[in-house]
Amino acid sequence: MTGRGSPLAEGPAIRSAWTGTRSGILLYLSSICGTLILSAGLVAVTGGSWSRVFSAILEGALFAPGRWGNTLTVATPILLVSLGMVVGVKAGFLNIGQEGQLLLGALVMAFVGTKLVGPGPLLLTTGLLLGAGSGGAYAGIAAWMRFRRGVPEVITTLLLVFVAFQMVGFAITTDWLLRDLNPGRPSQAVSSAPLPGSVRLPVLTIFGNEFHIGLLISLAAAGVVAFLMFRSVAGFKLRLLGYSPNVAQQAGVAVARAGSAALFLSGAFAGLAGSIMLAGGASGGRLTSGFSTEIGWQGLLVALVARNRPLVCIPVALVFAGLRTGSGFLAGTGVDRKVVDVIQAMLVLALLIPPAVQFLLERRRATPVTGREGWDE
Amino acid sequence: MTTEDGREPPVLELVGITKRYGEVVACDRVDLSLHAGEIHGILGENGAGKSTLLRLIFGLASPDSGIVKIDGKPRVIADPATADEWGIGMVHQHYSLVDALTVWENVALGEAGRFEPDTTRDRINRISARYGLAVDPDAPVRNLSAGIRQRVEIIKCLSHNPRIILLDEPTSALTPYESEELFEVLAEGARTQSWAVALVSHKLDEVLRATDRISVMRGGRVVDRTITAATDIPSLAQSMVGRSVALRTVTATRGRRTVRNRRIENQAKPPRGRTRVMLRIARACISTDDRGMLLNDLSVEVRPGEIVGVAGVEGNGQTAIADVLAGLLSLDQGGVEVDGKRIPTGVAGATAESGVAVIPADRHRSGCVPEMTIAENLMIPLLDRMQRFGLLQRESIKRNAEYLIKEYGIKAPGPDVPLGHLSGGNQQRVVVARALAASPKVLVAHQPTRGLDVGAIEYVADRLRQAAEQGIAILLLSTDLREIMALAHRVVVIHRGAIVGEMAGDGIDMSRLGLLMGGKGEPEGPS
Repeated sequence: MTGRGSPLAEGPAIRSAWTGTRSGILLYLSSICGTLILSAGLVAVTGGSWSRVFSAILEGALFAPGRWGNTLTVATPILLVSLGMVVGVKAGFLNIGQEGQLLLGALVMAFVGTKLVGPGPLLLTTGLLLGAGSGGAYAGIAAWMRFRRGVPEVITTLLLVFVAFQMVGFAITTDWLLRDLNPGRPSQAVSSAPLPGSVRLPVLTIFGNEFHIGLLISLAAAGVVAFLMFRSVAGFKLRLLGYSPNVAQQAGVAVARAGSAALFLSGAFAGLAGSIMLAGGASGGRLTSGFSTEIGWQGLLVALVARNRPLVCIPVALVFAGLRTGSGFLAGTGVDRKVVDVIQAMLVLALLIPPAVQFLLERRRATPVTGREGWDE
Repeated sequence: MTTEDGREPPVLELVGITKRYGEVVACDRVDLSLHAGEIHGILGENGAGKSTLLRLIFGLASPDSGIVKIDGKPRVIADPATADEWGIGMVHQHYSLVDALTVWENVALGEAGRFEPDTTRDRINRISARYGLAVDPDAPVRNLSAGIRQRVEIIKCLSHNPRIILLDEPTSALTPYESEELFEVLAEGARTQSWAVALVSHKLDEVLRATDRISVMRGGRVVDRTITAATDIPSLAQSMVGRSVALRTVTATRGRRTVRNRRIENQAKPPRGRTRVMLRIARACISTDDRGMLLNDLSVEVRPGEIVGVAGVEGNGQTAIADVLAGLLSLDQGGVEVDGKRIPTGVAGATAESGVAVIPADRHRSGCVPEMTIAENLMIPLLDRMQRFGLLQRESIKRNAEYLIKEYGIKAPGPDVPLGHLSGGNQQRVVVARALAASPKVLVAHQPTRGLDVGAIEYVADRLRQAAEQGIAILLLSTDLREIMALAHRVVVIHRGAIVGEMAGDGIDMSRLGLLMGGKGEPEGPS
């Protein structure tokens, strides 16, 4: 994983025959081609036609009417989650509990939107802010345990995901909390009441493609994260902390405080993603037990593939969202949509292998001189 | 002094053994003989090549040239298993026991064949009884103290019935009483079982106390051989650290100035009339739960323009001092004052803010960030000056980097190259440049020239001298006596986390220094 100071975390600019731009592109291309061939083989083995599968995915993601708007809508929370991941990893902390933080953000949004009274825009803004705050606070629990008790945040953030699922389950089945008591609701599945239209995010329509303005928020967030991370003192301190806690501490960065801030921010992005999903009308604006639909995990993969570069997260998030919406069109091809999950996983690997290969080649080149030294003491 | 008399032939004989690691010659044409029934002490400073020598004998490394003879016949010891076949056993400096396993499991580890708990237990009990090494075979190793672990290591070694026993700094974690016990076991084995023992140590007193003969190593060579009965601590100390006339400094090897000149040069420099203390560490104590005291009532003062050299064997508290002054470690007791103001310890940035800059021993642990660019590394202490409204001022960062690159002669393609691309010497220049760029009041230099090539060493030394001339108070922590003698106005000796002696930079008594470093202070130092 991309832990503290791991060379894969950012891919230190390395020079060698294999790491020039041209051979880098070659590596990526061959890796992706390999994946496509394997995927085609997989589809063929499971009894489908690979050409139909690929065109179905493209239809579903882009070409069918209204589909690319759909893809943009799905990309929005994925991008936000990945940005949160980037902030954490840059500071040297691995928050992998986005799925839970996202659920909590949605939970708070649902509560604000359906239980509080007030003008719609005010409720919407409050819901988004509190949603982000609750995601951050949820990650803050992990930060507190990390810096008070030394419990690794990888473990705590992960485990808190399961607690979050229980909290959502409790909230939507409890009458005095979020349970929808309206007897006329369309489905028998337990859920919260739908978010009223006045607290939904405004929707833009372009050529029949609809997406909500959450997309603009997330794109702006990517820009802001990139700018602050590389141009601001705070961003510099976070990166310093991620590379070398000792150097950071000497330079006046208190590890516990800065690390908590990074984890809080990381969770806040996921929380915001959750509240934006709900306010953007995901699952009919109702909070359900499976509301997060693995967006949290996908955002994590996006950050991994983008190797923690905030702006690179944008195209990667779009690709992942496209695979997601595209797989919705698979039903007609007779291939299980799980196949798309496998293809997606292979694609992640395909995008991760080239930097790993480059790193290994570089290291093999660099070791012979000083492999073993300092035997004496 | 050599005493190669007509006794029975040696069990193990090394002839002209040489081992290089890159540029470093760890062992340089070493001749050594181990005789049955004798304990042979190998004495030397850190880095003198002692441990490497044992590793070569035990098959953990192979010599570049030279012959190893066992019972008079040349043999190649390719790996520890071969060494074991020839009856060679080794007790390592750092314990190689598995914490999660019990004593008998650890002893059985690495043996051929099936695990036989009962026979292993019996064997352990037999050895325990034979040598008075009481230990419970079923105790988990994680619960054992350092002394008992050492016993387990020895039992593990003895359970293979070795004829030749190699011990690498076996007492480094032992109390004096435990060390004494160990030496009795060795003496007993040598007398009754005809063991040939090689005992590597840098502690003068224990080598003198426990061995029959002694070889002194320095810079990879055996510089002195003697029978123990015919020597004493002062003469051993002198051959261990080298007589001052024999000292090679870097500059001397380049044919410029000799140590003597340098020392004369130093004599003129100690600042007079300035009594203000710039850095004061007073009665500092740090205890750890597993290794005792890191710092034990340590006090030291440095005045402006003064270079105080802290001499000592590695691992006696130097890293703790550097870490405290870098704000990485907090004191349990005592305090640190800079320019008369007390500063909190272990608080992020507190020491840097009060004007302390640190050149750490391990620059990759706490000195610089190889993944960041040279410019970014150089701006770390100047963050406050390089920003406006919380945003980095890229223009001034670049100018700062370009200036320092020029000023400190850093060979780099440009300020935006990742630091990791530079050679070690140039990385160290960046670290030095950064430390001095913040215009510190106090500079802590911990092994500032370790691992550098000749040119870089001289460069760093010159910079430190210049810094002192500008009135910076410099604390130089080093295990390299040549470096200390070439630079320091005043030398204090650190041993087990305490200052055990002090002398002026122009009046260094080498044998006394050696004694102090080995924990043998005049009025019974803490040992």
